Amino acid sequence: MTCDAVRKLIPLYYYGELTPEEEDQAEAHVHECGPCARQMEGARALAAALDRRRTESPASLLADCRADLSAALDGAAREPWWKLWLGEAGATLAGFTRWRQPLGAVALIAVGFFAARIIPAGAGSGVSTASLAPSEGVFVNVRSAQPDNTGRVRIAYDETRRREVFGTIDDPVIQKLVLAGVHEENDPGVRVESVGLLKDRAGSGEVRDALMNALLHDTNPGVRLQALEGLKPLAAETPVRNALSQALEFDDNDAVRMQAVDLLTLRHDEAMVGVLQNLVQKEDNSYVRSKCTKALKEMNASVGTF
Amino acid sequence: MQDAAGTAGARVNPEVDSLVRAAQRGDQDAFEQLVRAYDQSVLRLAMNLLRSPDDARDVYQEAFLRVYRNLHSFRFDCSFHTWLYRIVTNICLDQLRKRKVRKEEPAVVETSEGAIDRTEGFEEESAAANPERMTWNRQLGQRIEDALEELTPRERMVFELRHYQGLRLRNIGEILGTSEEAAKNCFFRATQKMRTELGDLV
Repeated sequence: MTCDAVRKLIPLYYYGELTPEEEDQAEAHVHECGPCARQMEGARALAAALDRRRTESPASLLADCRADLSAALDGAAREPWWKLWLGEAGATLAGFTRWRQPLGAVALIAVGFFAARIIPAGAGSGVSTASLAPSEGVFVNVRSAQPDNTGRVRIAYDETRRREVFGTIDDPVIQKLVLAGVHEENDPGVRVESVGLLKDRAGSGEVRDALMNALLHDTNPGVRLQALEGLKPLAAETPVRNALSQALEFDDNDAVRMQAVDLLTLRHDEAMVGVLQNLVQKEDNSYVRSKCTKALKEMNASVGTF
Repeated sequence: MQDAAGTAGARVNPEVDSLVRAAQRGDQDAFEQLVRAYDQSVLRLAMNLLRSPDDARDVYQEAFLRVYRNLHSFRFDCSFHTWLYRIVTNICLDQLRKRKVRKEEPAVVETSEGAIDRTEGFEEESAAANPERMTWNRQLGQRIEDALEELTPRERMVFELRHYQGLRLRNIGEILGTSEEAAKNCFFRATQKMRTELGDLV
């Protein structure tokens, strides 16, 4: 083995990263070769010197970090984000559904084969037949159910049909459907997924507006966090910055505010000094406060408003 | 639990896996135990690389929030340690790259708890006992910091993970999304640069 080849192995030898064969070859060579033995000694001395390098942390740093994280998670009610935010929206949804219910008897049910079996074929003129009965994948909303004078029952229902379409997110039809998903008020899970799909497409004005709208108005923090992710590349744009500062001021979720402050303080912006000073005064979350303070100091702005 | 990152490294750890599964099911205590199993290593890595308590605190917070938000998508394709370190190293590499652009790191770092001298960790002996030795240590400390600054962010990361965190180069490759061979080459370049910078001192 040549000296050049051995010198390439020496750092790896020292850290035990050679194969046993390479190790044997290196050892045999170094045993016979003075200059390479000195190289080996040099590697050892370098490692020893580097071992003496110490990074001293303030004693409270770990405790502070844990407290920051705990506060952020407390803000998320200490539930897994997905479940929690679905749960929160579920509570909102319960009220919403009550409000939506019409006065008559209404049932939103997946009927499938069950309905097909109870509605007899050729049941009579003007009345649904089996061929018209809902089938699998069709959701019905029953508007009225009344007996008529012949002993039969008259049902009026609305149908919602499930369809599947496939395509890339760049396909305008798919993108339109995903944008509709962002507004799917009944299902926060769909909104999270839809906003997630759009987050790499924020360059388009329509998508950007949908993301800003989701950030400011969606009731579900999971959706708002996804929207923030999508707005990240646009954090320098004024309308986005305005939306971020509004989220910082009004959003009640710590994780959302923490992410918003990260994006807003990525670049120094004199226009945000007032917003940041205000936050230092009133913000409860220590992470958000410390980010604001740091950004203000970096801009040589005073931390307080006097 | 001991610091799982420091001892278990990349190995599959059944105890950690069951904590991850419990946390994925929504068990908050399990998530907290996971954090505490790894957070000292994460903080040490961030402090070693960034030398700033404020920046290390930012890395800690962002890393574990990302873990919290994305834990549901962790599929055990690799160890949890590797997955966590992918997140942490990405955040740290971003910071190091930003610094490379700014090139502004003073020897004395301002923190919320006062100024910290980046070289003070070398002062093993007290000034009264051996002032000359202390001066030499201080000089060596600064030279080492300067030499580390000369590395590219990726070289710096590979060196940090191998030398200070004790991870195997194969695992480092896995964390950084590259091959063991590429990690070895990167590590070799880093040690060569350090030798060139510090040749007269070691």
